[in-house]
Amino acid sequence: MTIASDIMGSILHGALGAPGASGAALPAIEAGPWWVSLIPALPLLACILCGVSAAMRIKSKLPAWITVGCLGVSFALTAAMFQQLAGGRSVTIAWEWINVAWTDSGGHERSLIANFGFYVDSLTCLWMLFVTGLATLIALYASEYMSHDVGTGYCRFFAAFGLFVFSMACLVMGDNLILLYLGWEGVGLCSYLLIGYFYKKPSAVAAAKKAFIMNRIGDLGLALGIFLAFVQFGSVEYKVILEAAQPWLAAAQAGHFDEIPATVQLIPILLMIGAFGKSAQLPLYVWLPDAMEGPTPVSALIHAATMVTAGVYLIARTYPLFLVSEYALPIVAWVGALTALVAATIGMAQFDIKRIMAYSTVSQLGYMFAGLGVLTSTGAAFHVFTHAFFKASLFLSCGAVMHGFAGQLDLRKLSGVGFMKGWQFVAIAMLVGCLNLAGFPFTAGYFSKDMILAEAFVTPHMAPIGWILLLTAGLTAYYTFRVFFRVFVGPKYYEPGDEVHAHSDHGHGDHGHGEHGHDAHGHAGDHGHAAGEFHPHAPGWAINFVLLTLTVLSVGAAGLYFLGDHGGWVGKMVHASSANYPPIVDLAAHSGEAADAHAHADHGAHGSFLGMDPHKVMYYVSGIVGFVGIAIAFALHYVGRKTAATANADKLVPLLGPIPKLAQGKWFVDEVYDLLIVKPLHLISIVFAYIDKLLVDGLVNAFGWVPRGVGSGLRPLQSGNLHSYAVQMAGGVAVLLLIVFLASIAGL
Amino acid sequence: MELVLLILVPLAFAILIALRPAQEAKFHAVIGTLLAAGIGVNALGRFDWGTPATMQLSAAWDWLPTLGLRLSVGVDSVSLMLIALTLLLGPICVFCSFTAIQEKERTYYGWLLVLQAAMTGVFASRDIVLFYTCFEFTLVPMYVLISLFGSTNRKAAATKFFLYTFTGSVITLAGLVYIAWFNATQLDSIGIQSAGRWTFDIAALEAAAQAMPANVQGWLLLAMMCGFAIKIPLFPVHTWLPLAHTEAPTAGSVVLAGVLLKLGTYGMFRFVLPFLPAAVLEYAPIIATLSIIGILYGGLICWVQTDVKKLVAYSSVAHLGFCILGLAALNTVGITGSILYMINHGLSTGALFLLIGMVYERYHTRSMKELGGLACKMPVWATFMVFFTMASVGLPGLNGFISEFMCLMGAFQAGDKWGSLPGGTGGDLGFWYALIAGLGMIIAAMYLLYMVGRVVWGPLVLPAGHDDHGHDGGGSHGPLPTDLCAREIFVLLPLAVLCIALGLFPKPVIKALEPAVNNVVETINATGKRPDAASGVKAMNDLPGLPSSADVRHVSDADVSVASSSPTVQWGGALSGGDK
Repeated sequence: MTIASDIMGSILHGALGAPGASGAALPAIEAGPWWVSLIPALPLLACILCGVSAAMRIKSKLPAWITVGCLGVSFALTAAMFQQLAGGRSVTIAWEWINVAWTDSGGHERSLIANFGFYVDSLTCLWMLFVTGLATLIALYASEYMSHDVGTGYCRFFAAFGLFVFSMACLVMGDNLILLYLGWEGVGLCSYLLIGYFYKKPSAVAAAKKAFIMNRIGDLGLALGIFLAFVQFGSVEYKVILEAAQPWLAAAQAGHFDEIPATVQLIPILLMIGAFGKSAQLPLYVWLPDAMEGPTPVSALIHAATMVTAGVYLIARTYPLFLVSEYALPIVAWVGALTALVAATIGMAQFDIKRIMAYSTVSQLGYMFAGLGVLTSTGAAFHVFTHAFFKASLFLSCGAVMHGFAGQLDLRKLSGVGFMKGWQFVAIAMLVGCLNLAGFPFTAGYFSKDMILAEAFVTPHMAPIGWILLLTAGLTAYYTFRVFFRVFVGPKYYEPGDEVHAHSDHGHGDHGHGEHGHDAHGHAGDHGHAAGEFHPHAPGWAINFVLLTLTVLSVGAAGLYFLGDHGGWVGKMVHASSANYPPIVDLAAHSGEAADAHAHADHGAHGSFLGMDPHKVMYYVSGIVGFVGIAIAFALHYVGRKTAATANADKLVPLLGPIPKLAQGKWFVDEVYDLLIVKPLHLISIVFAYIDKLLVDGLVNAFGWVPRGVGSGLRPLQSGNLHSYAVQMAGGVAVLLLIVFLASIAGL
Repeated sequence: MELVLLILVPLAFAILIALRPAQEAKFHAVIGTLLAAGIGVNALGRFDWGTPATMQLSAAWDWLPTLGLRLSVGVDSVSLMLIALTLLLGPICVFCSFTAIQEKERTYYGWLLVLQAAMTGVFASRDIVLFYTCFEFTLVPMYVLISLFGSTNRKAAATKFFLYTFTGSVITLAGLVYIAWFNATQLDSIGIQSAGRWTFDIAALEAAAQAMPANVQGWLLLAMMCGFAIKIPLFPVHTWLPLAHTEAPTAGSVVLAGVLLKLGTYGMFRFVLPFLPAAVLEYAPIIATLSIIGILYGGLICWVQTDVKKLVAYSSVAHLGFCILGLAALNTVGITGSILYMINHGLSTGALFLLIGMVYERYHTRSMKELGGLACKMPVWATFMVFFTMASVGLPGLNGFISEFMCLMGAFQAGDKWGSLPGGTGGDLGFWYALIAGLGMIIAAMYLLYMVGRVVWGPLVLPAGHDDHGHDGGGSHGPLPTDLCAREIFVLLPLAVLCIALGLFPKPVIKALEPAVNNVVETINATGKRPDAASGVKAMNDLPGLPSSADVRHVSDADVSVASSSPTVQWGGALSGGDK
């Protein structure tokens, strides 16, 4: 009974370790081992070494092996950290970063302290295990995927890759909100650099810029949340903040939100704006689909598995703050559910398979937010975990296709890929990934999605969210298998993408060597095939190995569900951290045994699904919904399909009126934003520029004209001659001094 | 003694440059600036970092004892850091000009050294007249640099720069002299040691100024801000800056952005905040509002620029807005952030001007319509450009973040509702000020990434006449290679290292600034909120009349007593006191 032992532990610690902090529900914080700092430090070292390689103009795959090596060790250390953890919490301080102290008007010593310190509890371990693990695998994949760019952009790619893992580690492991903010913006920078990796493509540059700016909007909310948390609690460190929220938890559980100060309740609402930006939720989601301009390993690691889950991490990490706010979690739930639905509808109408995966990421992130909102932090974290593996494998499969077919991603131009020679591994990985995403029974994705769906019906007032998510589950199964049935099975057919003419378009690299310049026409022959006789090249060992590993892991993740009650292994990890729900402080009233059995007792009325217990019935309902979605995709995109370009679904399109066009156009959200925000702001800026030139500066010039008109007799003084100005200046000083001097003698 | 040397050595080398042939000018300038930097390092070592708030390395000579004029220098941590910034940028400005300046080298390097001496003098002086002399004297070298070595519109830019800032600072002088007069004639020497005689010593006048009633302080605030606000530049008196920056030679822009603008912010920190606490408390929201307008308005104007140098110039208006917002927060976090901002802005924006200058030397254009996608031609340059852009945008881990975050946090803490909360300091700013100023963070990302997206990324665009296939090492670039040469990398590298160092290890610097800042904050809180000072003296409400001695009596506080004897006698006393 983990919880019971936790409670015993916390009571003991409360009595012995932390005098004054009565009722401390979280275990006391120990000093962590020094080598925890190496987990973020090694990726940073990889980044620096890649930078050195770039400076030394190394033209081999060395940067990739450096990165894979450093990340591998980092992963091993993370595993060791997990082994050492044993349910406690620890902080390792690498060095002191920000430290300002003052005495306030009441004579209290106050200080703003943010260290480069790493806070390790089970939630940290959960996140870091899949971050470093996936990063290692994807770096290995990228070593082959990016091999076109060896000697040009290769170093730059892996330097940014290493920097990303460093930033992500700071985000997840930071022991205070400002270090989290450092990681938060750091991953944003790496995202910017990697989306814009093919920097000669204007669309990539625009997408990178959009991602950074959209994220900055969220970051402002996060920054304000940090400010308010500091003002309220006098600290930005988790150990203080999480402790400080404890006294209000009981009031919040009882529904007495009026006893909790408004400033406390405002903090999570500000923090969640940051989460919405980073995790691509409504209304800030539009950057993520565009982010697919980056190389596919980047899409897999950053824009599917790790960075975009930072918002979920933030909310889970500061869950006690969200629990003591009356409106925070309902807002999170609704935003998540609506994002899930909107993104799924757009995903159904896209033709670019990578974009479909991007929208499915947005949609699945919506599930995670909804999960947090309906009080199943375990379900959300479990979904993050399973999604990380299956979505990474889906992206990498798409990437293998893109790599092999010269950048072709249009599902109308590819068919039967799974039956081609050398593509079996990719097809299997894709199938497993699709089954997971569609929530096919007994896959990992099925169990994790199920927890969120069931809890949505259990939690009072959240049933509409459950229905939205259930509908979305059906849509998800449909669009997922639409890709599979179109691209991987059916008649064999392919059209190569446009990179066949310019293979080196894979990013001309940054070293401006003439031979990689603008004359791509010289390269068509380089790879031994002219445009007319294109051969898809099947993936090599690195890509196949990584795909296979991810497939095994994404299947294996389902097994975690059975390692223990209440969400399995992930549930255990979440329960032992601050993200636990119901909060430990409340359970302390019950005996450990009873608390375990009635985990939902405090929900008040236990919700139901059409009169049945959601926990049990949801296994069947969500399974059936998944089946239906897959069946529809089968009927519309597989049955009777003779060519790659057309399918039964096309007959359906006219019946739906303008809806398919609107969905294909992404509901024109980008256009609306442009019209309502970007264009007016640009207009205002132009007006400001003119006001500055004509009005503000014009007034100054007018001042300048007055003396010129009046004192035309003094013309020699304004000759523009430097010496006369200097004399005037000295004279002016002297005269002023004299006036004051005389006035003081004469007048007084 | 170091401080005097720091002023005299550049001056001596300037004279040397003037006397020796033009070919040697470069050499003497390098030696002069490096020597000054060496003395600066020595000063940093001799400074007692255990007591960073006390004035150290002091030296003083009588100048005109009858008028109380002394040549007095001394530094606390704040001044010393700004001097260090000046000394760092000195050699950088010389090195970056080797190829850009080909004629009138003696004039150029000579005035550059004079400028450095004047700027050092501003930060080192402990006497108002010396301060003001140096403050004004920076204008002359800058005027020469812009008007002789600038680009097409240089004459107009230089004249506007000179007249605009000169006009403003004359009024500042009037304010400062008024304080000296008040000290000499309106207070006697019981409460304040130096009162009742003429002195221009900063510490003495600080005590005198604090004794003034609130409304007098208000007028003085206005007078002082005339000079400082123009220098900073604060909206709406900023329009000289984009013109001067755009027309100035590279080194001129670097010094202008790096140090000259900081003379205004330093002036605010050194004079406005501690001298006029009551007025500062009253007018902080107005100053903060102006700075926020500058942040948003300056930022949005940046966004629609096509001249890349003008874009960076306007970005200074936005950036310095954050700096002033931090000062106006009137709490430790805000003011410390603001001083860090002065240093960080000098590093990152200075570097951006250097980088733009390097491209200008090669392609002779600053227009973003004629430049694009330089990453594939100049990868090293592009790396530095992206790096310093990120420092400027306030990316955590680099220097700009620490200061920007602290400025915003300071403003946020200063909410009147939050005085009783553990992290709040109370004040007249607060949530909305931080929120609206924070929009500037988004706008900064918009315009800086717009610039990088145009100039660094995207398809290659070069001005007509430059072949875009050039693998030939440049032909049209004169002596310069296509990408940066070793000298140029050497110029940028120290700035980059400092950006990272101050971003990751700011604690020693913060701790050095903290006591000095805490002194100012405590002064403001202790003296600015006195009921009699805040309410003012009834009879004095009809300013700008000068206070009579009878009225000044009401100013008296526990620690301030008032002249009761005849002012004439007092004046005589001051004279005789000076004669001793």
